[in-house]
Amino acid sequence: MLTTKEGMQSEIFVPVTPKPVFSELKKPLSECKVAFITAGGIHKKSQTPFNTSGDFSYRTIEFSTPSSELMVTHGGFDNSDINKDVNAMFPIDRLHELVEEGFIGSLATETYTFMGGGGNVEKFKNETGPEIARKLKDQGVDIVLCTGGCGTCHRSATIVTRCCEELGMSCVVIAALPPIARQQGAPRITAPHVPIGSNAGEPNNIPQQTAIVKESLEWVRDCPSYNQMKVLPYEYRHNV
Amino acid sequence: MSITKETLEQHLKDPAIFCCRREKGLVISAADLEDPSLFDDMVDAGLLTLSPNGLKIEQVLGSTLLTDVEALTPITAEVLDKVNETDSSAEKEKESVTNESKPIITTKIGGEGMLHIEIAKADHIEGLKLDLPIGGAAAPAAETFVPAPGVAAPTGEKKVIRTLKKKHMKISKVELGDKTSIIDGVLTIDKNIVDKAVLEDPLCKSLALDIIYPNERHQYTETIMDVCPIATKVEGELGEGITKVADGVVFMLTGVDEDGVQVHEFGSSEGYLDEKMYFGHPGCADENDIIIRCHAVIERLTGMTRPGPFAAHKCQDYVIQTIRDELKKYEGEVIREEICEDVRRAGNPRVVLVKEIMGQGAMHDNVICPTEPCGILGGQKNVDCGNVPIVLTPNQVRDGSIHALTCIGPATKEMTRHYIREPLVEGLAADTELDLIGVIFIGSPQVNDEKLWVSERLGSLLESLDCDGCIITTEGFGNNHIDFIQHIGQAGKRGIPVVGVSFCAYQGQLVVGNEYATAMVEENMDKGGFENNVAGCSCVTKEVATRAIQMLKNKMAGVEIKPAPKKWNNDVINANNKLLGLPETVLLDNGTLH
Repeated sequence: MLTTKEGMQSEIFVPVTPKPVFSELKKPLSECKVAFITAGGIHKKSQTPFNTSGDFSYRTIEFSTPSSELMVTHGGFDNSDINKDVNAMFPIDRLHELVEEGFIGSLATETYTFMGGGGNVEKFKNETGPEIARKLKDQGVDIVLCTGGCGTCHRSATIVTRCCEELGMSCVVIAALPPIARQQGAPRITAPHVPIGSNAGEPNNIPQQTAIVKESLEWVRDCPSYNQMKVLPYEYRHNV
Repeated sequence: MSITKETLEQHLKDPAIFCCRREKGLVISAADLEDPSLFDDMVDAGLLTLSPNGLKIEQVLGSTLLTDVEALTPITAEVLDKVNETDSSAEKEKESVTNESKPIITTKIGGEGMLHIEIAKADHIEGLKLDLPIGGAAAPAAETFVPAPGVAAPTGEKKVIRTLKKKHMKISKVELGDKTSIIDGVLTIDKNIVDKAVLEDPLCKSLALDIIYPNERHQYTETIMDVCPIATKVEGELGEGITKVADGVVFMLTGVDEDGVQVHEFGSSEGYLDEKMYFGHPGCADENDIIIRCHAVIERLTGMTRPGPFAAHKCQDYVIQTIRDELKKYEGEVIREEICEDVRRAGNPRVVLVKEIMGQGAMHDNVICPTEPCGILGGQKNVDCGNVPIVLTPNQVRDGSIHALTCIGPATKEMTRHYIREPLVEGLAADTELDLIGVIFIGSPQVNDEKLWVSERLGSLLESLDCDGCIITTEGFGNNHIDFIQHIGQAGKRGIPVVGVSFCAYQGQLVVGNEYATAMVEENMDKGGFENNVAGCSCVTKEVATRAIQMLKNKMAGVEIKPAPKKWNNDVINANNKLLGLPETVLLDNGTLH
């Protein structure tokens, strides 16, 4: 018989980290096909809104969709910034400008958006994530950029991003809550100083949004190894 | 919208924080609250400030919001129509009542893969005892409950496999002279021996010996590479027969290169000896030991290569061997006879001790199973063996099977003397409730892929040893924590209860982890939680070993070990000490406070 003692406590904190996943980018940015996914609840005005109490479905958005036809359904943060400018979460206009500029090669034909708040981990890990990753891979995507939203959104965003990385695409999470992206095992992280709800920069601040997207793309190229984070020197405070 | 009902139940006592902006009139439910397991990260990131006036989740559920509240704001009484009563005293009473009527059930995983369930008292059932085979799903059901006729259940009875007698020979005086000898407790070392010893390796440029008595400790020393006992076989091989150990004296190897650069890796222990060694710890000199300092100067720029530091160890070993030869013949006072046994206690839980040792090259290396205890010759280096797991018997370890070519931080490395008196080996071997079936040494390779590779080999080994539990230790911290955690995972995913032991504290916080690392023992003894450059300060001590063994028993018996707090806290360690009747872990103030 074993002598046991009630009341003992483990003495060392152990973060539970997922296994590393990292696909090195092997092309110049100017030759890459880029996609942008988001957990921030963006969808077309014509589509069924997300269920704000938790939803693991996703919406298909053609990159040719005008930004004026997009909207947000997300209960996890103040929506006013995205209502002003959807590029604050999903910088679709900036991406088109970067293609024109020749900074990136092209955009995927379509992308997939979801609402990660309260996201069901198993569903995102085993169903939604792999499905989105497969659809992006089938389009020949090289780079996937991703924004989260609220706290659990960052978790869902990271899970889907990891699925994409596992299929060989090089991904970065643009995080307003970098510790969560880090802890959940995002392959690469950039961290502008922005509030949740404007994860890709201040609404209507085109230079800031462009810089955040560009430097995140550069981090996809330059990040030396798994789970490394780059703090971006852009700050926006949102007074609700 | 943020947490599920299951999460909610685990976090009723945690702060209630809205995950999102919530408007007046809302009736609060789980879906409105943020996951408390994310709070620490959010606080660290400056996104959340917890308030002492904030309510707990159980206090706010079902209440109605009187005003709009922003996301990530603690919920206070002012914004609610009501606060649920959760009287803590009433709760305590309830708890003690439930305890009394709670069925008393003990389960234990014993030998022969049997799960023993004993229900002392439960409603309508009393005194039921069941022994079920574990993982016996594949076995025909009919066989499950029928013991083979005539075969008595194993009882944990001790069966001695081999015995080692360690004769501790009293040495009361050490001096340098013309000829090496031991006469009447006086060890004389030929002062010219160093001239021959230095020829053992061309990378060793000079060697010098001097003697430091306990009252002479406040003197400068170059970095301490190792502390090595003088021990020799007089009968049998390592782990059996008779070994003589010189008592009251140890070798201390120090080293610099020709440019005066300390031979060290992460941290260096040069300075005043009395401040740079944790006297009395297993790897160190004891308070009353006479120290024979062997100082080596090695070729410039070889300090961080494999051959350089090894040259210093090899030349020192030449000197020690001349003393071993005298010790073999010496028939003076035996101060203590230590009987070490390799035993089997069939029927008790089968446990192994896994010791991760450094294997990245340079000083990150060890000599395993030399011919003489704590020696060099005849041994193999774990790096050359590919760092694969190697099983030794407890007696082999206690007979000096490991010569440490130690590196890493002075405080967190295990020196040669550590292994000959390893508290976990001693503790597990002596424990009559366990069956210590072996001690596994596994090197920590330099390359990430190799770390995973050796770890997988360890996993198969643990499985084939059919063990019921294991303790895994590592010296040092940093990259070796990757494989350390991997090893814990290899045991954990096979359902083997596992306890991890390491220095982590502040400086060595784990950056990787898995869900199996739930019973962890901290070795730190530095006030700031740093590698403090005091040789042997933060490593496996008797207290560390006792806590680890108890945690393993708890885990094997299914007795809860509470999760660790997010940040290193010595109070947690001392609470465990107190529970087990151990002395307090007093931290050394070495100016590392941050």
